[in-house]
Amino acid sequence: MENKQTSILILDDEPIVGKRLKPSLEKKGYEVEAFTSSKEALERIEERSFDIVVTDLKMEGMDGMQFLTLVKEKYPDTEVIVITGFATMATARESFNQGVFDFLAKPFKLGEIVDVIGRAEAKRKKSREA
Amino acid sequence: MSVFDRIRRLFGGKKKETVPFKILFAEFKKSLELNNQILDLIADANDKLSGDYIFGEQYIQHTCRQLADLVRQLIVTINHLTEQKYAALYISFHKIEEEIETLLRGRVLGQVKDYILPYSMISRKLIDSVGGKNAHIAEIGNLLDHQIPDGFAITTEGFNLFLDENNIRDEILSIRRSWHQSEIPVDEASRRIQRAIKEAEVPSKLQAEMLAAAEVLSRRHKDVTPCFAVRSSALGEDEISSFAGQYLSRLNIPLKEIPQAYKEVLASLYSPEAMEYRLMMDFRPHEIMMAVACQLMIPAKVSGVLYTYDPVRPENETMIVNSAWGLGEPIVAGEVPVDHFVLNRRPPHEIREVQIVHKTTTMVQRGCGGTGIDGVQEDQRRESSLTTDHLRELAEIGIRLEKYFKRPQDIEFAIDRQDRVIVLQSRQLRLQQKRAPRACDLSDLEEKHPVLIRGRGIAAMEGIAIGPAWVFSEDKNLNDFPMGGILVACHATPQLARVIHRAVGFITDVGSTTGHLATVAREFRVPALFKTEHATEVITDGEEITLDTECLTVYKGAVQELQYYAIQEEPIEEMYEYRLLRRVLKKIEPLNLTDPTAENFTPEGCRTYHDLTRFVHEKAVETIIDLNFYHAHHRDTQAGKLLWDFPLDLILIDVGGGIEGSHSQGIRPEQITSVPMRAILEGMSYPGIWDMAPAGVDFTSFMSSLTRTTSVRSTSPEDVGRNLAVVSAEYTNINFRLGYHFTVIDAFVSDNILDNHIYFRFSGGVTETIRRSRRTRLLAKILSHYDFLCELYGDIVVARLKRTNRERMMKRLFLLGLLVGFTRQLDVEMVSEETIDIFFNKIRTIMEREHGK
Repeated sequence: MENKQTSILILDDEPIVGKRLKPSLEKKGYEVEAFTSSKEALERIEERSFDIVVTDLKMEGMDGMQFLTLVKEKYPDTEVIVITGFATMATARESFNQGVFDFLAKPFKLGEIVDVIGRAEAKRKKSREA
Repeated sequence: MSVFDRIRRLFGGKKKETVPFKILFAEFKKSLELNNQILDLIADANDKLSGDYIFGEQYIQHTCRQLADLVRQLIVTINHLTEQKYAALYISFHKIEEEIETLLRGRVLGQVKDYILPYSMISRKLIDSVGGKNAHIAEIGNLLDHQIPDGFAITTEGFNLFLDENNIRDEILSIRRSWHQSEIPVDEASRRIQRAIKEAEVPSKLQAEMLAAAEVLSRRHKDVTPCFAVRSSALGEDEISSFAGQYLSRLNIPLKEIPQAYKEVLASLYSPEAMEYRLMMDFRPHEIMMAVACQLMIPAKVSGVLYTYDPVRPENETMIVNSAWGLGEPIVAGEVPVDHFVLNRRPPHEIREVQIVHKTTTMVQRGCGGTGIDGVQEDQRRESSLTTDHLRELAEIGIRLEKYFKRPQDIEFAIDRQDRVIVLQSRQLRLQQKRAPRACDLSDLEEKHPVLIRGRGIAAMEGIAIGPAWVFSEDKNLNDFPMGGILVACHATPQLARVIHRAVGFITDVGSTTGHLATVAREFRVPALFKTEHATEVITDGEEITLDTECLTVYKGAVQELQYYAIQEEPIEEMYEYRLLRRVLKKIEPLNLTDPTAENFTPEGCRTYHDLTRFVHEKAVETIIDLNFYHAHHRDTQAGKLLWDFPLDLILIDVGGGIEGSHSQGIRPEQITSVPMRAILEGMSYPGIWDMAPAGVDFTSFMSSLTRTTSVRSTSPEDVGRNLAVVSAEYTNINFRLGYHFTVIDAFVSDNILDNHIYFRFSGGVTETIRRSRRTRLLAKILSHYDFLCELYGDIVVARLKRTNRERMMKRLFLLGLLVGFTRQLDVEMVSEETIDIFFNKIRTIMEREHGK
């Protein structure tokens, strides 16, 4: 039996996303780190792995696509969930080709992302058992 | 020539060419479609304030622009219909749009233009004009009826005038920018900005107004020496108490020194601590504004501070009081020893701990304008500064204010010469971080505490609440609802909003996040969980419960760790995006134009997008009727009044194959060949449907009050009820305005299932909200039962039916006819909850009798 908490990294340049998600997910028993700058998130990714990464696709400075590609290269087992604004739905679809687990369009409900995370968690568990 | 005339001339065509009705009608239909889209979008936007969504600035901007676009199209449409008769709508629209754009750029607009507002005129609605401290203290006096110092607010409008007349806005911004870019340290930035403010002049107009308001105060209280306290009331200040205390208060100053004190208080907006704090809280430059409180000094016998929780050990469930003789300044500043009391938070608030200190000095007023330090009389030095009675009263006030403001409170008080407890200010108490449970400590709560509801319902407002459950039933009176209770009810009806000031939470079996109660819960930030299906069954009246809307969970008993966690957290509703969404919605959502006969029902009277939408709908219906019935007819249409036994002025316009025979003397029901119209009229004229009026009411006057029926010949078209049906062989579009009810039906019935549709919209009502909400629920129940897809927005019901065969469509239209005939009286008759089922069964009986099961 594994007791280790599922770890999640959140990257979104709109600060409200991390502020809102972090405590809610922690309350559900997840270990959460939130970032608004892709540079800092990348540095953190260099240091350690996360079970699940939640990232916005369109940010200033660095493309979310680039970020998720790097994450996937380094940790193929990490499930990546993409969140995105209205304008970038087309790009979001593309991201499926990059091995993204699922995507959510902003604004979304708290319950929706919790569901997606739950599914990603289940998938990881299943692939480990296999 | 007025601006409006000029615009009209600019847009308006002088040539009178008759536009084919089909084109006009297409425009009319477009206006209805836009109307619906706008109202849905507004309801969705309000829903976002519940805290249940993740959204950013992008969303707010997108929504505002989408709305602006739809409203603009709507105005274009009505002007097409009316040959530019309402071009003045563009002016109102641009004004609102510009205000919203200003808000989106981060600028805060005060709600009033006044520089000065007396406390009697202030409520929390004006918080962006008067700041948190003023808004809160005024509400404590006006709504909770506690003793507060008499006073007035100097608004943010006054602050803006101060910056603009002295031309120092840019200078401040540029110093601030240098600090943000790390060119200068915060201390230097603070010093330079404060100097600029102190060296500026208070504009003479502002100065004159503040002195005049102070004169009024002095005259009203002749018994006391007119001395004043000038305090900060910056935007966002009172919401978080770690923010408060960073600004200046000037106490006991004479009238003529108020302007000088005002400047000093303004300058404290730029203390280094405040500047750092705002950076952390993501305040935008234009949100940095200070309103000021100017209050009459209370000649205090005793002063002190009350915390409604022990900030270091909230789990002790105690309140803390510190007090000493004389004025409060040295007590608040911690400069003198104080008596210390610990009280139980629960009534009767027994005293758990008392420490009476040796009090040698006290601060007193020296005439007006000065304070001094006196020695305390020998016999008072070791005496308690507060009596048991004072303490009990303070505890009660503390709990009331905490329940009212939904957060632990830090309250400054004074005891005056008449021994009255006066609340000087009340703000949120910040508890010590390290003591609070972290979110991750809360993941196993469901194992530790008995759960009544788990994972059910929808959050209409996020949050955590603990209190006794008060299960509402027919035999209970809402006036008995206890302060600090959690209301549990079957339906999220608007009438429940009455207890909003006393409730700390709402739980219902049925309800929607776009209803009226949800909107009010969000305005007052009361956690609300709707649609749990069985809350009234599983929750016992009177038992203590804990509501956690984020997890859709209700626990039995008080889960204190959740409470401590919640009061610690930075409330989500204080995040910038929420502040911004609330501000823009104020320009979008309120409906000021409710009565089409009122004087302000004009393009110039429209102050929000909702007003514009409402105005256009009214005028669109009116125009179609006027053009086709009262004035020259279109050659391609036939119009006439329905000759009927029922008191309903209905104008029919036939666009092709909907009516046969001559129209000149009016249209008899049997002349109608329009398939959907026939079905609707059949329902409306069903025996007994129109005369189900309650006994004891004068039927005639009652009906006429609803339909405002008058003879066409004797009055101008404007005074007549606006009931319009546009029909063709397969199509009907009905707009009824019966008194204050609105009904829209749009239906197409043919042999092609894919083309068939019914749209039904019902809103308004003449009675009080409770009966209206019963009617709304009855309609929803019936419509859903008969396959309609039904949505409720406040007391608006929208129902749709598509892709249904001809025969079934006809039955459903017959049903709508029944409902139209029927519901116009329902508000009057729906005297109890049971009536919902009674009427539901009546309708079902008729439907079964007519069409079989």
